[in-house]
Amino acid sequence: MPTQPPPDIATGLARFLAANEVGRRATVTSCQPIPGGYSRTTHVAEMRWDDGSDERLILRSDPPPGSGSFDSDRDDEWALLQSLREVESLSIVAPRGYDGTGEHFGTKCIVMEHYDGVALQHTFAEGDDLTRPREIFLQLAAAIHQTPLDSLPATLARPASWEVYMDEITALFARLDRSFSAASPVLRYAAAWLIEHRPAPVALSLVHGDFQPSNILVSEHRPPVVIDWEFARIADPREDLGYHLMYPVPPSLYTTDTAAFLARYRELMGFSEAQVNEEIVEYFLLLGTVRLLEQMLVGVEDVVQGRGGGVMKTFTINPISLFYQLYLDICRPRAR
Amino acid sequence: MTAGRISPTGVYERLLRGHDLVVITQPATDDIVLDCCRQLSDVVMPAVPDDTIKVVVAMLEAVLRNVAVRAGHEVAWMVEEIASNEIYAQDVLAAIPDAADVSSALASLAAAPRASLHLVDMVATYRCATDALASAVAAATSARRSDLVELGIALLDTRAEREHEVRAGWTPIGR
Repeated sequence: MPTQPPPDIATGLARFLAANEVGRRATVTSCQPIPGGYSRTTHVAEMRWDDGSDERLILRSDPPPGSGSFDSDRDDEWALLQSLREVESLSIVAPRGYDGTGEHFGTKCIVMEHYDGVALQHTFAEGDDLTRPREIFLQLAAAIHQTPLDSLPATLARPASWEVYMDEITALFARLDRSFSAASPVLRYAAAWLIEHRPAPVALSLVHGDFQPSNILVSEHRPPVVIDWEFARIADPREDLGYHLMYPVPPSLYTTDTAAFLARYRELMGFSEAQVNEEIVEYFLLLGTVRLLEQMLVGVEDVVQGRGGGVMKTFTINPISLFYQLYLDICRPRAR
Repeated sequence: MTAGRISPTGVYERLLRGHDLVVITQPATDDIVLDCCRQLSDVVMPAVPDDTIKVVVAMLEAVLRNVAVRAGHEVAWMVEEIASNEIYAQDVLAAIPDAADVSSALASLAAAPRASLHLVDMVATYRCATDALASAVAAATSARRSDLVELGIALLDTRAEREHEVRAGWTPIGR
């Protein structure tokens, strides 16, 4: 029996609102994709309610099966957003609803309010004074990392201890080395290096997992918000710093004044210099990016095995090799 | 007409038999691919109104640039690295004779289709040589042989420099 084609996003939104917004009706006046996302499909929709008011919503959905380059679970993301909206110390874009079955959109889709602002990344450029964006970035990092773990959904995996967690994520390097065609000998070397150089522990915390200035929205009228929580997990908070160190879009809030960046983060988190310093952030560049590397290797393996899936998967060969270069530079023997 | 070497008919006959097969080598593969890049950037991109499709076109252009660099060099690079990785792994095994992973990787490399320059065979052999390098660096690290580790890292550096060249000025398009 032929299957029904998936509805377009605008039609899906109209159906979704009719089912979920009891007592009022909306007309979707426009629905446009937002370019730039590497994982989910994002649309911005304009609507007019039957009382004459206008509203803008953000729709965050899974790409068509087989075409995405990065996998994450919308159910988990929705559960996390529901929890985070109750955390007073952290501002997020308000979630409005969820099509968890694909009944309306043809794919799982999170509907969120629109935040009228710009990405923090777009508020500064080379040569600017980065004090203010750095402060916004670090305050949000600290707010995430200080989120009480008991406020988070039960679906978020909780490692038994910091040591167990570190053993598991270090083992991931060796596992990747054995599992993928595009693996590099750097991974096997890095796995050994990580064991040799394990740093002082800190308490595990909520980690955003894709913490970069492009995932922070700022506005003159509202507190800044953090978006794109799909890779959030409970892990070592320093992974978010290491991830930011990798982020290849200049200027870097970290490298433009590393001493100020680290001192402020230590102050906000109550960490010692033995727990957070330049070498440790480099160490956590490896741990903060390895899951992303794993996802990219899975995508490239699809290309190697002829499963296809879009140019994004081939395109990620570039960041994969960039990661290997970064890993090698960090793990290189040197006078410390 | 007799099918001779300069006779078109004779050429077709030989082509059909698979003998004396000739290919047009100029423009070379990288020239052709780079021309496709220019067409994408100069002709296709300005005519694309949809921003999300512009990102896809930019990614295609970047991937083709990768392909152009690889077409120009990757067989030569693999030949060089297969040889250097093998020599390094042999040296490590001589210094650390109980390094079983190195011994096993070298045996696999010896059995690889290394006489062939066809890409599929080159890649298979290169993968064996890569495993030999990874095993040897790991063995040198475990044995705390810093001299051997440094030699291994020099080989990893060579590989990284070539990957840098393949990236051809890559940037995270769309971010």
